[in-house]
Amino acid sequence: MTDPAPETRPDDAIRVEGLEKLYRRTLPGDRLRTLKSVLVEGSLTGNLRREDAIEALTGIDFTVARGEAFGVIGGNGSGKSTLLKLIAGMLKPTAGRITVSGRVAAMIELGAGFHPEISGRENVFINGAVLGLSKREIGRRYDEIVEFSGLGNFMEEPVKNYSSGMYVRLGFAVAIHTDPDVLLVDEVLAVGDEAFAHRCIRRIEEFLAAGRTLLLVSHSLDLVSGLCDRVLWLENGKQRLIESPRRAIDAYRQEVAEKEAEEHQAAKDQRGDTTAPVAMSATSATSATADRWGSREAEITAVRLRNAAGAEHYHLQSGEDATFEIEVKTAAALTDFVFGIAIATPRGIEVWGTNTDLEGYVPASFTGAATVRLTCPALRLAAGEYTVDVAVHARDGAPYDYHRRALSFTVTERLGAGGGVGVYSPERRWGFTGDVRWTDEKA
Amino acid sequence: MFRVARQLFRFRGLLGTLTARELKARYRGSVLGFLWSLANPLLLLAVYSFVFGVLFRPARSQGIGDGPYALFIVSGLFPWVWLSTSALEGSMSLIANSGLIRKAVFPAELLPMVVVLSNLVHLLLAMPVVLSAVLATSLLTHTVGGPAVVMLPLVLLLHLPMIAGLALGASALTVHFKDVRDLLANLFTLLFFLTPILYSLDFFSGGQSRMMQLMGWVVRLNPFTPFTRAYQDVLFFGRAPEGLLWAQMALVSLVFWSVGAWIFDRLRETLVEAA
Repeated sequence: MTDPAPETRPDDAIRVEGLEKLYRRTLPGDRLRTLKSVLVEGSLTGNLRREDAIEALTGIDFTVARGEAFGVIGGNGSGKSTLLKLIAGMLKPTAGRITVSGRVAAMIELGAGFHPEISGRENVFINGAVLGLSKREIGRRYDEIVEFSGLGNFMEEPVKNYSSGMYVRLGFAVAIHTDPDVLLVDEVLAVGDEAFAHRCIRRIEEFLAAGRTLLLVSHSLDLVSGLCDRVLWLENGKQRLIESPRRAIDAYRQEVAEKEAEEHQAAKDQRGDTTAPVAMSATSATSATADRWGSREAEITAVRLRNAAGAEHYHLQSGEDATFEIEVKTAAALTDFVFGIAIATPRGIEVWGTNTDLEGYVPASFTGAATVRLTCPALRLAAGEYTVDVAVHARDGAPYDYHRRALSFTVTERLGAGGGVGVYSPERRWGFTGDVRWTDEKA
Repeated sequence: MFRVARQLFRFRGLLGTLTARELKARYRGSVLGFLWSLANPLLLLAVYSFVFGVLFRPARSQGIGDGPYALFIVSGLFPWVWLSTSALEGSMSLIANSGLIRKAVFPAELLPMVVVLSNLVHLLLAMPVVLSAVLATSLLTHTVGGPAVVMLPLVLLLHLPMIAGLALGASALTVHFKDVRDLLANLFTLLFFLTPILYSLDFFSGGQSRMMQLMGWVVRLNPFTPFTRAYQDVLFFGRAPEGLLWAQMALVSLVFWSVGAWIFDRLRETLVEAA
C-alpha cells in the first residue's frame, strides 16, 4: 500500500489488480522448510507447490472510487477478511498489486490494541498513536471521542473492568476519529447494543457524505445493502461478481437458498425416501421429543413440499404455487380428527396457520393411510427462511401426532422484483402523481 | 534492517508511550509501585553483600582488586539482567501481543523494542543504587570507582543495538518456533557462567591446565564479555575501558543488530499470519 503508483487515477481510493494470496499449509514438520524459504528467498510462498498452498484469494480485480462505499459479501472462508488485511497492508500479496491513496484505518477487531491494566483515557492515546495520530491530534479530539463513546464516567477506569460492549464502543470511537480517508470495516458493527450500532452507522454515513471511502466486509446483508454503492461477492477466494447491492445480494441469497435446498435433498436421499426432511423418530406411542408429541393414534409418516410442477422442492420463488403434503396413517379407524399446518419463521413468529376444523371440514372417518395436501397458489411470502409445523389431532385439540418444524424451506424474490421486509410480499405496483421524478438508473 | 530502524524512528513517539504503558502496567496494583525498581536492586545488593561479605568471603581472586566483591558482581550483573530479560521477554513479545498484530495495523518491531527499553529503564533505576554504593565505598576506602563513570552512557548506548537485535531476531523466530524461548533460557544460564560476572577475566591468565586455558578462550570469545568488562571498568574500577574493548563492543553490537533486524525484516510478512 506504500508503493507509489503514478498511474492510479486521482479518484481511485483503492485499486486492486490481479491480486492473489496463497497461504502455506502448516504441515507438521514443515516449519523448518517454511523458515528456510523465508530467510533464504525472502518469500513465504516462493518455492511453494500448489498442493502445499491454500488459495485464499485469486484473480481479484477491482477499483473503489473516492467517496464510494464498497461492500464485500461471501460465506465463511471466502477470503473477505484476507482481502481486507491485504488492503490494510497487514499482509503482502503473493501476486498482483494493491494501491490505496490516503490515510487508511482498519477496524478489524475494535480495541485490539487496548491494554487491560491501564485506564481508558491512556488507552485512547495509545490506540490513537497505533492508528497514526500524534499526541496533540488525539488531545484535540479526545473530548469528541469520549462523547461519542458515551463512556465519560469510565475513562479513568482500567479497561479490564469494561464490559465487552464498552470496549468496542471506545475502540470504534477512537478509530472513527482518526479521520481516515479510507475506512476498512470488518464485521465490527454487529457488536455493541442497538443504539450504539445505529450511532456507528450514522457516523459512517456522515463519513461517506464527507467524500471519504468505505470498504465494508459483513455478513449482515441488510447493512451492506443499506450502506454500500457496489458489492463484491467473493466465493472460495474468487471474485464471483461486482454489482449494485440489490442485485449482488439477491444473487447471493438465491444461491445460498438453492444450496440449502440441495443439502436438504441430499440429506433426505441419504436417509431413504420414506421420511420427511426433518428426521422423524421411530414409531412409539410414548415417544415425545421437544419437537414432536402426541398419542400416536394417528401418525404422520412424511411431510413434503412440492412446487408448481409437482417436484419435491424446498426452495420457492415468492409467488410460486406451493403444495404441502402430509402422509398420515392410523391403526384403528378414527372418527374425530383434524389436520393442521402452520408456517413460522425460524425465530418462532407465526406467519400463518390453519386446520381442517377451522376451515369447516367435519370429520366422518379415517382409516389406513392417507395423503393430505394443502395447495397455496401464488404463495406470496417475503424472502427468507420458514419452518412448517404439521399436526393431526382431535377436535378438542388432544394431539395424536404434533410435529413442530417438520420441514423448513426458503423463499427468494425473483431478481429485480424488489425486496421489502417482513413475511408477506403482496403483488404490488407503485403509482405517482404530481411532480415526482426518478432517474432511469435502476438501483 | 534499515526498514526496522526506519520504522522505529517513525513510531518513536508511540514507542515511548508504549514503554511508559509497560512500566505503568507493571506496577499497577502494587503498593510500592515504582519504588520496587529501586528496592529490587538494593535488596539484591544487600543479599550479595551479606553472602559474599559476611557468610563466606571468597579468596581475593585475581583481578578483582580490593573493592567489595558484591559490588563487583552487581556492576556486571545488572546489565546482564537487562540483556537476558530483554532477550527472553522479547522473544515472547510478538506471541503475547498476537491480537495486536493479527487484528490491527501495528508496527510489530515496536513490541520487542518496548521490552528492551522498559528493561533499560529498570537498569537505569538500579544505577543510583550501584553508584551510591560505589561512591560510599570510595569515600571510605578509595578502592573502587573513579571519574570514568561518566562513560557509562556511552557503554549503554553501544550495548543497546546488540540487545535490540537479539530481542528482534528472537521475537520473530519464536513466532515460528516456540522452542527458541527454551533454547534461549538454557543458553543464557550457561552463558551467565561463561561471562566474567562472578569472576574477572584475569582469573584465566597464568599457568593453568589446558582445560582452564581453553575455558579462558571461550570466555574471551563470548560476545557478551566485552560489555561486561566495560561495565566493570566504568562502574567498579572507575577506569576508562581500553580502545580494543570499545572496538569489540562496536563490532558485536553492529553484528547483532544487523542479523537480528535482518531476520525480523525477512519474517515480517509471516508475523501477521503466524503470530
